[in-house]
Amino acid sequence: MTSQYIALPKGVSEKNFDAAIRDFRKVLGDAAVLTSAEQLAPYIKTMMPVSDADHTPSAALLATTVEQIQKIVAICNQYKVPVWMISTGKNLGYGSAAPAERGQVVLDLKRMNRILEVDKDLAFALVEPGVTYQQLYDYIKEHKLGLWLSMPAPSAIAGPVGNTLDRGVGYTPYGEHFLFACGMEVVLANGEVLRTGMGSVPNSNTWQVFKWGYGPYLDGIFTQSNYGIVTKFGFWLMPEPPAFKPFVIQYQHEEDIVEIVETIRPLRISGVIPNAVVIAHALYEAPVKAKRSDYVSGPGSIPDEAVYRIMKDHKLGIWNVYAALYGTQEQIDVNWNIVTQAFTQSGKAKIMTEQEAGDDPAFAYRAKLMRGEMTLTEFSLYNWRGGGGSMWFAPVSQARGSETLKQMALTKQILAKYGLDYSGEFIVGMRDMHHIVDVLYDKTDPEQTKAAYQCFEELLTEFSARGYGTYRVNTAFMDKVAETYGPVQRNVHKILKKALDPNGILAPGKSGIR
Amino acid sequence: MEKTKLKNWLFGFMFTVILATSNAWSAQDEKNNPGFAWKDGAEIYAKICAYCHEAQVGPQIRNRDLPAAYIRAVVRNGNRAMPAFRPSEIDDESLVKLADFISKKEAQH
Ligand SMILES: Cc1cc2nc3c(=O)[nH]c(=O)nc-3n(C[C@H](O)[C@H](O)[C@H](O)COP(=O)(O)OP(=O)(O)OC[C@H]3O[C@@H](n4cnc5c(N)ncnc54)[C@H](O)[C@@H]3O)c2cc1C
Repeated sequence: MTSQYIALPKGVSEKNFDAAIRDFRKVLGDAAVLTSAEQLAPYIKTMMPVSDADHTPSAALLATTVEQIQKIVAICNQYKVPVWMISTGKNLGYGSAAPAERGQVVLDLKRMNRILEVDKDLAFALVEPGVTYQQLYDYIKEHKLGLWLSMPAPSAIAGPVGNTLDRGVGYTPYGEHFLFACGMEVVLANGEVLRTGMGSVPNSNTWQVFKWGYGPYLDGIFTQSNYGIVTKFGFWLMPEPPAFKPFVIQYQHEEDIVEIVETIRPLRISGVIPNAVVIAHALYEAPVKAKRSDYVSGPGSIPDEAVYRIMKDHKLGIWNVYAALYGTQEQIDVNWNIVTQAFTQSGKAKIMTEQEAGDDPAFAYRAKLMRGEMTLTEFSLYNWRGGGGSMWFAPVSQARGSETLKQMALTKQILAKYGLDYSGEFIVGMRDMHHIVDVLYDKTDPEQTKAAYQCFEELLTEFSARGYGTYRVNTAFMDKVAETYGPVQRNVHKILKKALDPNGILAPGKSGIR
Repeated sequence: MEKTKLKNWLFGFMFTVILATSNAWSAQDEKNNPGFAWKDGAEIYAKICAYCHEAQVGPQIRNRDLPAAYIRAVVRNGNRAMPAFRPSEIDDESLVKLADFISKKEAQH
């Protein structure tokens, strides 16, 4: 019998699924329940090296209110139908808008797009899941609120709720986003609505200003998780500083990462450099200015010799450190002296400001990210190999020079084994560095796709064998990463899951939790 | 589901309705705030497409006589490096306007 659905949830009969869909339609109306192949096409495309069939949803639900979501979870419980939640749904390189498992119903909250409050004095925002950074940016400009956003590189098309719930990062002093989250509203699997922290106190006006509330702090368990559906989200915004000074520092040798990290760590921890910094390898920056095919052809990873030619032709360091100073001009002048003194000591660094590098397209987009301006220039990464294949490999490193060098060398060696390039950067900083590597491959080439899959698996295996954990991963490798954190953490996650979602209707498989 | 559990669910639902109306952000407030909607094709182009297609990241797409149906298909399916865009992001009606905006010559606007 041919099904009228393009996929079905695991263990759910077509008859039961049909009944669930009928009930969803009663709640949302026909137009907001998508089931045809054509309607679901945008929920299927991913950049991962696995068959799109593995992540094909059975349906998508476009909810607009909390009450609708409460009714949806009741239906899901009744028919044991799982939903996969997305907010703005642009988790590109981590699974996009597609569910973790074939047949899950995507609960798409993009249409819940109200900016509920932006407080100019207390510098916070309360938004619904579908609000994009672009929308919030325009709102702040229109109302002349003098506040800055911190957002990830896909800025305009992504949003603060989805990004922060996946513990994503940006590039301003507020770049470690979850540190600046303050208060959530969450629909639980049983239909109850929890407001975390001060939000649980009736008539409270401190929900978005005090994070901890009373008793165990709960917000963390709703990030990278499947314990609830976040429907409102509060977070802090940075007051626009009177002055802003972005800069780039270039180094010529891969081993110089040691000096860079040793120099930058004390400046980050003491707050002299306040923002989430970027130490980008030449191959991360090159796609903005250069074409891979102008330097190499044929299979295999790009040789160092070609990388040096790219650096020379396009004025790049092998490492390019982007950071900025914020504050009054006087504060910036004082801190600039400290920064330049620290970096000029060895004589290896080339320091440039907007004056020297303002016209450089890589510098220009990095400067935008560090001041919360919209840009999608970083998508040029996908022109490097072409073919739309990408996975973020994201191990965590100590902010210690020797450690970053070790991680870089190991990553580069494993990538090369599979003919892939090291498009990497170290970001955020203070005591850790997020080591972020875009594993780029041509998804239209079956051989390269297979190599990319094996390469990613080996990266995870080799890194965890050395005690390096991964902070976030695409939906094809969530179980593998969960394994690396050991059985005790996995079991605690499972116990919480059973308690909060006994029927397992919320995003089964997220972070390896079922 | 057993009976006692079902009762708990029902209790949960009733409880929430009461809670939701007594807090700072109530369902009523939400109804008074209609949320975001696109004005026209030019706005969508400027706030999504242009960041790549006018920035040497993606190819030029305006003034190329690209058929509207082709544009709509690429937006919904994505194309290699280009992400797909869902009807929750760009609704069908707005997508028609966007495709129209892109496929018409600049002088026609
Ligand atoms: C070129 C490029 C550069 C990138 N740079 C960065 C970067 O600098 N920093 C960064 O962090 N990422 C980066 N990314 C990855 C990704 O695109 C962003 O993190 C993006 O913000 C995530 O998509 P989103 O905001 O639309 O979240 P969504 O896709 O909506 O959500 C992400 C995940 O959070 C969970 N979730 C979402 N909504 C809910 C909810 N309401 N309730 C419960 N769970 C929920 C789901 O598991 C979902 O898969 C980059 C991607 C690309 C292509």
